[in-house]
Amino acid sequence: MIIVPERITRASHGSTRALVAFAIALLLAPLITRDARGQDTTHAVRIGLTYQPGTKPGVIVLAIRGAWGDSLQAIIARDLDYGDRVEVIGLPGTPAASSLAGIGPGVSYPLWKSLNAAAAVQTTVTPSGLHVAVHDVTGRKIVQVADFPLPLAGGSGEWRLAVHGISDEIEQWITGTRGVAQTRILFVRGGRVYVVDTDGFGERLVSDAGLSLSPAWAPDGLTISYSVLGSRGWSIVTRSVAGGAGRTLPSTTSGLNTTPAFSPNGLTLAYSHGDEAGTDLMLVDLAGGGPRRITVGHGSDNTSPEFSPDGRKIAFTSGRAGHPEVYIMDVDGSNVELLTPFNFGDRNYRSNPDWAPDAQHVAFQSQIGGAFQIMVISLRDRSVKQITSEGVNEDPAWAPDARHVVFTSSRTGVRQLFILDSESGRARQLTHAGGARLAAWSHSLGHAR
Amino acid sequence: MIRGVRCLLPVVLLATGACFATREDVQALHADVQTLRADNARSDSARRASLDRVVASLNIVRDSLGLLSNRVVKMQGDVRGDLYNVGQQLLQIQELTGQSQQRVQELRASLEAKQSDIASTSVSASPAGMSAPTGSASSPSGSPRAGAATPAPSAGAGATPGPNQLFQISLEQLRRGSPGAARTGLQTLLAQYPTSDLVPDAQFYLGEAYKQEGNAAGADSAYAAVVSGYPTSPRAPTALYKRALGMEEKGNVTGARGLLNDLVQRYPRSDEASLAKERLRTLK
Repeated sequence: MIIVPERITRASHGSTRALVAFAIALLLAPLITRDARGQDTTHAVRIGLTYQPGTKPGVIVLAIRGAWGDSLQAIIARDLDYGDRVEVIGLPGTPAASSLAGIGPGVSYPLWKSLNAAAAVQTTVTPSGLHVAVHDVTGRKIVQVADFPLPLAGGSGEWRLAVHGISDEIEQWITGTRGVAQTRILFVRGGRVYVVDTDGFGERLVSDAGLSLSPAWAPDGLTISYSVLGSRGWSIVTRSVAGGAGRTLPSTTSGLNTTPAFSPNGLTLAYSHGDEAGTDLMLVDLAGGGPRRITVGHGSDNTSPEFSPDGRKIAFTSGRAGHPEVYIMDVDGSNVELLTPFNFGDRNYRSNPDWAPDAQHVAFQSQIGGAFQIMVISLRDRSVKQITSEGVNEDPAWAPDARHVVFTSSRTGVRQLFILDSESGRARQLTHAGGARLAAWSHSLGHAR
Repeated sequence: MIRGVRCLLPVVLLATGACFATREDVQALHADVQTLRADNARSDSARRASLDRVVASLNIVRDSLGLLSNRVVKMQGDVRGDLYNVGQQLLQIQELTGQSQQRVQELRASLEAKQSDIASTSVSASPAGMSAPTGSASSPSGSPRAGAATPAPSAGAGATPGPNQLFQISLEQLRRGSPGAARTGLQTLLAQYPTSDLVPDAQFYLGEAYKQEGNAAGADSAYAAVVSGYPTSPRAPTALYKRALGMEEKGNVTGARGLLNDLVQRYPRSDEASLAKERLRTLK
């Protein structure tokens, strides 16, 4: 028989209670956080409607009168539709379109109700921009009003970007989550780098002459980087997306320097540097200083670095196990960990990771039956989900909402960029001229006009 | 005069008679020549045949050597390829071992969670309950030495989470960006289960949690505990490297250089040693 002093017993019971409380708190923390996130994560003013889980609220974008009215209505309706969080009622070609055409920009709650609309967006052109009001159809009242300035040059790229920002704001009012219309996508076609709005408009060339690959956005949305083939190999160039001369990183003037990636604070650039000893990842301070090797590949190839949103880790492709797989490591090069699961003898491989802005998922391409498909792995439980199946699909890049993914697909017979809503599975074609690939999605460009 | 001619005549006759061979002589000579030629031809033929045989033998030897050489080259290639494949398979096994260990870790955590559930059900069903574990619930330093005398609680210790469960949950919290919660969990693990094989990893991630919290001194202390307490752990060179980088960030170049040199000497085959060597070259 063991006699335990009362004082110690009490202490140990207290200790146990504290331990149990801690364990319960830890176990419940994800649920509580998730619940809280579901309620409000964006500090948005929602219109207070109760939406059924898995359903999308119906939204009507009323006709807009005045200069560029039709374009404004089309852009806002398309942006909301492409956001995949609401059901836009009255899109051209639908039965509701003719009903709505009859009333124009006028208010008609009974009609909107009959069309199953939960909200209606009423927009008026003002001398300085747009006046937007959002109606709660069930409550028969205006729940949100704001004025937005617009650039004077209607139809310009800057003007379109501003309108996309208004669409994102409206989406935030209605759903609580900001849209991603006010972003742009870089891609490569024919060895040149192009930029395009997320609705497929405003495509323009941004690279100089010379074969260019692997474009990347800086977090400021103003600077881009890509690799360029020169007389001494592939070098890394940074430049303004608006134009002007590019700047070659001094450390990349010789050898095979590709796949640049900016750190989330924009101060550091990671890229892969190849020579006869193999290909390793390098880290360079953009303000100056020499490059620092951060992988020890022992002659294998280490490429495609992607920073985690907090900048502490890097996901990358490495052939150190005999064939390419996706790994993650600390940004200082230590603590390397295999991310993508594979079976012994597996000849298929996985590569080109892209870290989701929610920090919880990594998208990558995986060979399945000889063809690439886009997969998403959860960093929490390492579960893998295949999100594409039609054609060959490669090079995923997340949108800032951690929900949409842009990727290269051959489903139409030629390589094109497609955007997929990873929640609903809805895909849409972004580019229409053949040969587009290697897309990179910008952060929100609200501040980068 | 005549007498002179008579004297010369025998000489002339002798001289002219000596210049003429008989037919037999010529035939004999011809036969001899023929015989000689035939002998020579036979000899040449035999020599040629012999040489042909030698050349043929040499060709055979050369072909054999060529084949042998090809086989050796092929064998070398095969062996090299096999060795490469074995190397790759070893690397794959190494990677998969890590993957399996992680899976085992998750399964252990899941098992412990189930045991805790069963135990808590038993406790609620029986008010008498079970004995609680003794010892401190947490240690501010997070040192594995703290509470080292505390035995690991058994499944009958109420709903107390096991070391695997604690480790798994703490790691999840760290990945989610909650270093405070992760640190608490790891400190609990170190205090309650000081003999668990997870202790070196927990100690390492405690350093990571401190680092995420911005507590450089705490991180350095936790990393130092990995190196001193578990020098044979695979985490030790990583912890030493992180200590050196922490020193460098603080501006202590001398300290950083010392730790990097220490790393290169103590763990020369680690990846971190390779990184340390390059760091030493650029450290100013």
